[in-house]
Amino acid sequence: MTSTEAGTTVSITRQPNAAAGRAAPKGRRRGPRRPLGLPWILPAFIFVVGFIYYCIGYTGYISTLNWDGVSPNPQHVGFANYTQAFHDPVFWATIRHTIIFFIVTFTVQTAIGFIFAALLHSKVKLPNLYKVIIFIPVVLAPATMAPIFRQIFSANGQFNTILSDIGLGSLAHPWLAQSSTALPVIMAITIWEWTGVTFILYFAAMTQIDKEILEAARIDGANGLKVLTRIVWPNVRGTTIALAMLSVIGALKTFDVPYLVTLGGPNYATEFLGTFIYRISIPQAEVGYGAALSILLLILSLAGAVAFGLRGTRRS
Amino acid sequence: MFETRRLSSKIILQVILTIMVLPFLFPLIAMVQESLSGQGWGNYKAVWATGVVPQFFRNSAIIALGVIIIVYCLTMLAAFGFSKLHVRWKEIFFWMMLAALTLPEVVLLTPLFSIAIHLGLFNTYFSVILPLAALQIPFAVLLTRNFMNSIPDELFDAARVDGANAAVIFRRIILPLTRPIAAAIIILTLIAAWNDYLLPLVFLQTPSTQTITLLPSFFVSEFSDDQTKVVASAVITAIPEIIAYLCLQRLFERGLTAGALK
Repeated sequence: MTSTEAGTTVSITRQPNAAAGRAAPKGRRRGPRRPLGLPWILPAFIFVVGFIYYCIGYTGYISTLNWDGVSPNPQHVGFANYTQAFHDPVFWATIRHTIIFFIVTFTVQTAIGFIFAALLHSKVKLPNLYKVIIFIPVVLAPATMAPIFRQIFSANGQFNTILSDIGLGSLAHPWLAQSSTALPVIMAITIWEWTGVTFILYFAAMTQIDKEILEAARIDGANGLKVLTRIVWPNVRGTTIALAMLSVIGALKTFDVPYLVTLGGPNYATEFLGTFIYRISIPQAEVGYGAALSILLLILSLAGAVAFGLRGTRRS
Repeated sequence: MFETRRLSSKIILQVILTIMVLPFLFPLIAMVQESLSGQGWGNYKAVWATGVVPQFFRNSAIIALGVIIIVYCLTMLAAFGFSKLHVRWKEIFFWMMLAALTLPEVVLLTPLFSIAIHLGLFNTYFSVILPLAALQIPFAVLLTRNFMNSIPDELFDAARVDGANAAVIFRRIILPLTRPIAAAIIILTLIAAWNDYLLPLVFLQTPSTQTITLLPSFFVSEFSDDQTKVVASAVITAIPEIIAYLCLQRLFERGLTAGALK
């Protein structure tokens, strides 16, 4: 799902400036008045805004009910569902997992993606082969990969085989069945799936860097590592901020991997807001509580986007 | 980025790169290996013999195509209006749409469920196509508007002086000039629709409508304890995606970087 947002954040962070800069002079334009655009934007506007805002409003209403989704007269309970959420240890566990998940996946993806991009800008052999290998996970559905990941990290899976092959057999254990290692495995799978996006964005950002600056730095005696940390890294900061925002939203949206690989378990160790809301709303049919959790998730996503969006615009 | 004049440093870079890429390759190799263990190609034969695989593909293709058509048409119209035409309170409309961008689809489950039941759309393609399209359009409009802003207004004004109305300009000037961004949007929408799991999981209940992302779960119940066949079915669903990517590599990568590059 997140693949679609790869570039989103970049554009969002730029949008306020761009919009402000363009909208103002356009209004005062001389010359022929422009044709009315309203009929052109209305189909998309009604479809998206009508649909989604209706859904959000409806969720907000349901969140004040004690309802199983089918009973004809649900009971109004005010904000009781929200109070229930704040007293639910599983809710706080999902928040904790989301934060850890964001910090780890973002850091690791940034590091690997950045290094890959730098290496592939360095005249290595067969660059396209490496590019393809890193990028293939992005186009594969998490649902398609879930069975093999369950197998790889199972007690007699390939990961344990590799560990014993390289003499670390003592570390071998059922990775997904143990609370302490299930979350790291979920994060590793996510990193495997999304580093391609990080890489491709950094790769594109690096092509934009002025070659002369790099050349000048080299003539001044800077080595590869210095060029990378002092010149390349600051120059791709916009991409890094965008990727941070992408990761926040991605962490809040996480559903496919934990649901398919561990079902949120063992003992809620890999429960995320997405899997939690699904479990509450659909199999457990506590629709009112699920809706309250959905509204909380919505608030968190918007807050995350705004926080990073504003940071991006202020600095740029 | 790294200077590689000496042969030794060239080799070191190549080795580092190769070691770093191995973990990315490993699950793919493990997947193929696993799908061939036990009965070897027999796993693939057993999966194919169930006869449902083409059906799942067809469903995914119909859904992806439906989403692409809706997203493409509505996005092009709206982006043209936002970028080149006169709209009052333009930015308010725009930001109301953009707010939907961060929306996790799980938030929509309950209301969508009740809409689908009321309109009789449950277990139909529409129950997945409509929400997917609604979730894709805001981002597509954002990208396309940015792209159209770079088309000079003078071109547009000149056409108007020559007597062309907005519809003609849209067809003759805007559509041909926006082909690159349209391609990017189609690819992005394709990946999102093809790989979506949650909406089909909730709304599509029978194999006659289910998509390929539900194929592994279908085979888990079909071949209860035979993991190798489940993995074989996953390989079958992965192959077309990999082929599509390899054939359209530039488009895929450009699609994903579209927002990052001005």
